[in-house]
Amino acid sequence: MKIICLIKFIPDVEDFKYDYERNVLIRENMKQILNPEDACAVAFALTVKRFYPSTVIEVLTMGPQSVSSKMEEILRLDVDHATLITDKAFIGSDTYATSRVLATYLKSSSVDLILSGTHTLDGDTSHVPAQIAEWLELPHVSNIISINMNSMDSGRLVLSVDHDQTIMTFAVPYPSVLSLSKDSAFKMPYVRYDDLNKEVSHRLKVIDCAQLGLRKEEVGFDGSKTQVVSTFVKTMTKKDKTEVKIDEAGLQSVIDLLKEKGVLA
Amino acid sequence: MKKVLLYLDKNRPQDLSLFAASKMLVKDEACIISAIGYQEDLPLGNSVYDEVMIIDEKHVMAYDTMNLTALLKQIQHVHHFDIILFPSTPLGRILAPRLAIALHVGLVADVTGIDAHDGIVELIRPAYSGKLMAKILIKGEGPLMMTLRPNIFTYHSEDVKQTVYQTLKKHEPKASGIILLETKQKVAGKDIRDSKVLISGGGGVLHQFNRLEDLARVLNAVVSASRRVVDSGVAHRKIQVGQSGKTVSPKLYIALGISGSVQHIEGLKNVETIIAVNTNKNAPICSLATLVVEGDAIEFIEKLLVKIKENNLNFKEETQ
Ligand SMILES: Cc1cc2nc3c(=O)[nH]c(=O)nc-3n(C[C@H](O)[C@H](O)[C@H](O)COP(=O)(O)OP(=O)(O)OC[C@H]3O[C@@H](n4cnc5c(N)ncnc54)[C@H](O)[C@@H]3O)c2cc1C
Ligand SMILES: Nc1ncnc2c1ncn2[C@@H]1O[C@H](COP(=O)(O)O)[C@@H](O)[C@H]1O
Repeated sequence: MKIICLIKFIPDVEDFKYDYERNVLIRENMKQILNPEDACAVAFALTVKRFYPSTVIEVLTMGPQSVSSKMEEILRLDVDHATLITDKAFIGSDTYATSRVLATYLKSSSVDLILSGTHTLDGDTSHVPAQIAEWLELPHVSNIISINMNSMDSGRLVLSVDHDQTIMTFAVPYPSVLSLSKDSAFKMPYVRYDDLNKEVSHRLKVIDCAQLGLRKEEVGFDGSKTQVVSTFVKTMTKKDKTEVKIDEAGLQSVIDLLKEKGVLA
Repeated sequence: MKKVLLYLDKNRPQDLSLFAASKMLVKDEACIISAIGYQEDLPLGNSVYDEVMIIDEKHVMAYDTMNLTALLKQIQHVHHFDIILFPSTPLGRILAPRLAIALHVGLVADVTGIDAHDGIVELIRPAYSGKLMAKILIKGEGPLMMTLRPNIFTYHSEDVKQTVYQTLKKHEPKASGIILLETKQKVAGKDIRDSKVLISGGGGVLHQFNRLEDLARVLNAVVSASRRVVDSGVAHRKIQVGQSGKTVSPKLYIALGISGSVQHIEGLKNVETIIAVNTNKNAPICSLATLVVEGDAIEFIEKLLVKIKENNLNFKEETQ
């Protein structure tokens, strides 16, 4: 079984830098973390490999060169290959262009399962996996909260999905695109102590736009179908407010307001 | 004449926010608004829609987004809609992006604001974890596609049209590949989006969160929570208010021990009145509140319950 995990390193949202003039996030030299749901996807792949040691796991990301050290950290787990697709031409790619780049690479690889997170914390669109599934004409299931390991070799994978009001259980064929929710119980293991400094760079493949056979106009700002025109910080409108304490008078004003609003009578 | 297609989703068929958003997008121009979905999610008889298209479950199921996309693509090639809108529900969020690729158009996710002027449509959505709002333009010929956050756009008129109904038969059924084995209703508990009064708790009441139920019962309200409480495992994610939770529009929101981070506030839309109970009267939530109660939230619950009892007060039935 060959599994490819789509992973994205995202700016640590607590400390983000933004180029207000060009309307792009400054990704170079910035603290990056693995998107939490993508970590669930990698953790699930590692679980599969524990049950079925012949499983081959590849992690795939499109991002800046600077994430290569992060990719190496993941290679120190039981992950076999890592692929970083990177090119200055990709800057400004929206989800249309991003999914096109990733799908172009995936078309050339034979794979049984493509795993991803349901959404990222920075972009938070949930577009990329669905769009990749469309480019590749594969079934896609998202918001996965549990996967039945016993179904792995039955030809279809049995898994459960959170659909707001209902939990649905599906049997899904191979190959498919599966997006895991953070409510799935898969947790990334720690790197074994002996592997902390393991040399893994030979298992990291770096690919650029030309090697994928894509033209520059098909990616980045030009290849995108949406454009961020501006960003702004939301300001809260101040209201006339009353301040009270938890005493007789304070509680009376709460009661009065509850009555005025028709909550109590 | 603008042609608009609205995909009505399983979860919230009664929601008119897509309709409201389409009115904001077409502005004063004449338009035909069509809704598409599955029988049980669609209106019956006359409705706000000009036309309703019913998808036959025998041909394609809602969760089979691959084949549903193929069907919607076919429909688009016949009808040439100018605008196609989806709710940003779990299914809408994965169906819309597939269709966007099939039609080779841009897509904006989780839109919370629309700014249509001089023939330009700018879409507003939270970005970078709600730290910023982004204004986004869709390039190209269209159709204009987006997913919209439920509960944000509201529609009030009672206008009803003579709706034309049509069952879609032409689509060739395909082997879906995905087999549905079981559907379980989640233990119901009222949806926080449907409650007129919410008693919401945050980090300040984390350790006695269940006490909120006592107040909720007496006020005929529903309990909701900030993400701090949900992440600590004390409350279920389905009652989380905020950017990564649900958007709510109650008449009254009682915030107990909630600081009021931008991500939390993002989930409060058209809330009439906020009562904030906080040990810190300068917490950000307090600047949005009509009434700020400075003090311990659990003490507040206890003393308020006593006072309500003393005064022999009862909730009014119609608050829910
Ligand atoms: C990508 C992203 C998405 C997010 N999405 C959401 C979201 O959807 N919803 C959400 O809520 N958050 C969200 N957050 C988290 C958000 O940033 C805050 O961390 C969170 O809202 C804090 O919750 P809180 O205000 O309840 O807790 P705290 O920040 O711990 O605040 C506790 C408050 O209680 C007060 N307090 C303390 N003790 C008492 C007491 N005894 N009585 C009364 N008051 C007391 C304190 O003064 C303080 O104001 C998100 C964050 C990120 C990064
Ligand atoms: N640049 C990227 N490289 C690899 N995977 C990605 C990238 N962007 C998004 N993904 C995957 O798509 C999922 C959803 O992301 P998004 O569409 O940004 O919400 C993520 O959890 C990742 O698994």
